[in-house]
Amino acid sequence: MTAIHQLLESTPLLWRGRQGSHGQRTLSSGHANLDAQLPGRGWPLGAATELISRSPGLGEFRLLFPALACLGRQGQWVILVDPPWIPYPASLLGHGLLLERLLLVHTRGGRESLWACEQALRSGRGGAVLAWPEQAGFARLRRLQMAAESGAKLAFLFRPESASRESSPAALRLQLEAGDRHGTLIRIIKCRGNRPSEPIRISPPFSTYAKQRDQTEHHAYPAENNSNPALAGPPISTAAAGPPVPRPEFQ
Amino acid sequence: MCIPGDRNGLFLEAGASERLFGSPERLGKRLQRELEQLGYHAQAGSAPTPEAAWLIADEGLHIVLSGHIRQQLGPLPLPRLHLDKSQQAALERMGFRQLRDLLRLPRKALTRRFGPALPDYLDRVLGVLPDPRAMFHPPDTFSSKLDLPAEIHNCRALLFPLNRLLEELCGVLRGGDTAVQSLRIVIGHEDHEDSLLKLGLQSPTQDAGRLMTVLRERLERLHLPQAVRELRLDAPTLLKFNAGQHSLFRDTPAEQRQDIENLAERLQARLGDESVTGLTGVEDHRPEYSWRPRALNERPDCVALPHRPTWLLPSPSRCAIGDYEILAGPERIESGWWDGRDCRRDYFIIRDSHGSTLWAFREYKPHRGWYLHGIFG
Repeated sequence: MTAIHQLLESTPLLWRGRQGSHGQRTLSSGHANLDAQLPGRGWPLGAATELISRSPGLGEFRLLFPALACLGRQGQWVILVDPPWIPYPASLLGHGLLLERLLLVHTRGGRESLWACEQALRSGRGGAVLAWPEQAGFARLRRLQMAAESGAKLAFLFRPESASRESSPAALRLQLEAGDRHGTLIRIIKCRGNRPSEPIRISPPFSTYAKQRDQTEHHAYPAENNSNPALAGPPISTAAAGPPVPRPEFQ
Repeated sequence: MCIPGDRNGLFLEAGASERLFGSPERLGKRLQRELEQLGYHAQAGSAPTPEAAWLIADEGLHIVLSGHIRQQLGPLPLPRLHLDKSQQAALERMGFRQLRDLLRLPRKALTRRFGPALPDYLDRVLGVLPDPRAMFHPPDTFSSKLDLPAEIHNCRALLFPLNRLLEELCGVLRGGDTAVQSLRIVIGHEDHEDSLLKLGLQSPTQDAGRLMTVLRERLERLHLPQAVRELRLDAPTLLKFNAGQHSLFRDTPAEQRQDIENLAERLQARLGDESVTGLTGVEDHRPEYSWRPRALNERPDCVALPHRPTWLLPSPSRCAIGDYEILAGPERIESGWWDGRDCRRDYFIIRDSHGSTLWAFREYKPHRGWYLHGIFG
């Protein structure tokens, strides 16, 4: 049984009749509660997935790490088109991503970024492309969706919150928001073949300073009770000290 | 194979490949046709001996049996033979006009009048004496020029003649089992300095299609100062080609890598060389110096730190964080005293009022508020 499970986990091309409602091939996200709600029980292959969040720092990138690590182990590549900041190599490696199979593409933004993204999606077969398109209308997104199909790739588009009000051709759209107990809530706002479900709660996007290298491969997220309460300081409020302080400016 | 001195020519030993290419006549016709497509004019003839083949190539004749050489070459005018000037003059004085006049004479008589060189030469033509030739070694660079029949004004129109040059190059590469990784294209104008186009690939190739894809991107960005009169393609070094096995489905790691290299080339052709990189760690405790971009063929080297944030800001930026909560910390990073960019920082994982988890530090001394350095995206 374990062997079968391992095979199912590690081989995205294995089709499981029970789950694929529309024959959609998927790759397990590595989060059991998220997989349970996704059609085909995982990230759709050959289709665009939108990740919409109001602010960065909700674990939106790390949410993908188990799947990206899995691709790396299969010799497939992960391509980041115009990432907003520098992917921290030590952290990626710590979560099982293979740096030798990571490609960064930097463009001057706008149409060039979308062009590069489309090229990346169309090249070869398999692997994943992550992109941060600034302005992308329905037609442009549709091109990306088609490109993802032709390359049988995982395509993740990180979108600002305003995108949630626009319609999109993406096969799967998730909205991330801050949840209680430092966790993050994921709402499925669109998916093919399934009805959007209740919000899914995933654990906080950080690990504590305690060494946790042993559990990086299979449990990218530390279990809740692993965080050391002694390290967590009391809530500090600066609001009382003076006028409201502006939010951190991200570049 | 060998190139004779006076005209450009090539000898092919075709007897051994008859099963593959058909008769020498058919092979000759095919070569003529394919060379024509590359812009070369060629004449092919075949015979059981190399010298006889050379003598009849101009007429495009084909002699199948050695016994027919004497008869078919009989009417050949003597000045066509590979003889030196004094011998040619002597033959002319004696009234010999055609090859058959010479072949009628007994060997002894010929030797007496002209020395042994002439009868030996005739024996090589007829196949009585062996006629070994030096092997042809293709040059280890490639350069080919194309004069355009009409001026070309726009870059797109250059694709067609360039494709012809690339096909020629790749033919040479396949023939010699070599490959190229860099190319130079010189675009010649009437009275303006040549335009230069340099092409670099991630790995050696002999695939014209792959070169064409990269070239197409480059041409789109090229500005032509003037109409184009001629094109030259130079491959300064031909490399050994290691052909990989190709499987039915493109999913082996080697093929994935090839796809990525092709993609990188295409992107770099349009966006510049710096646009596509990998990532590697650098041994430095200060996070901002602990990484750098990496060339694709370089091996990454990095330590794993799973508790660090997924995103790193290019440099720490001062910020005011309102209404925050410390989730973990401090982690002290103290380093760099040797290069003047020393730091003593206490890093905290904090969550701001919007629920974002951030990586920020306070300087241990002097105390100057928060610096944002990473994001747990």
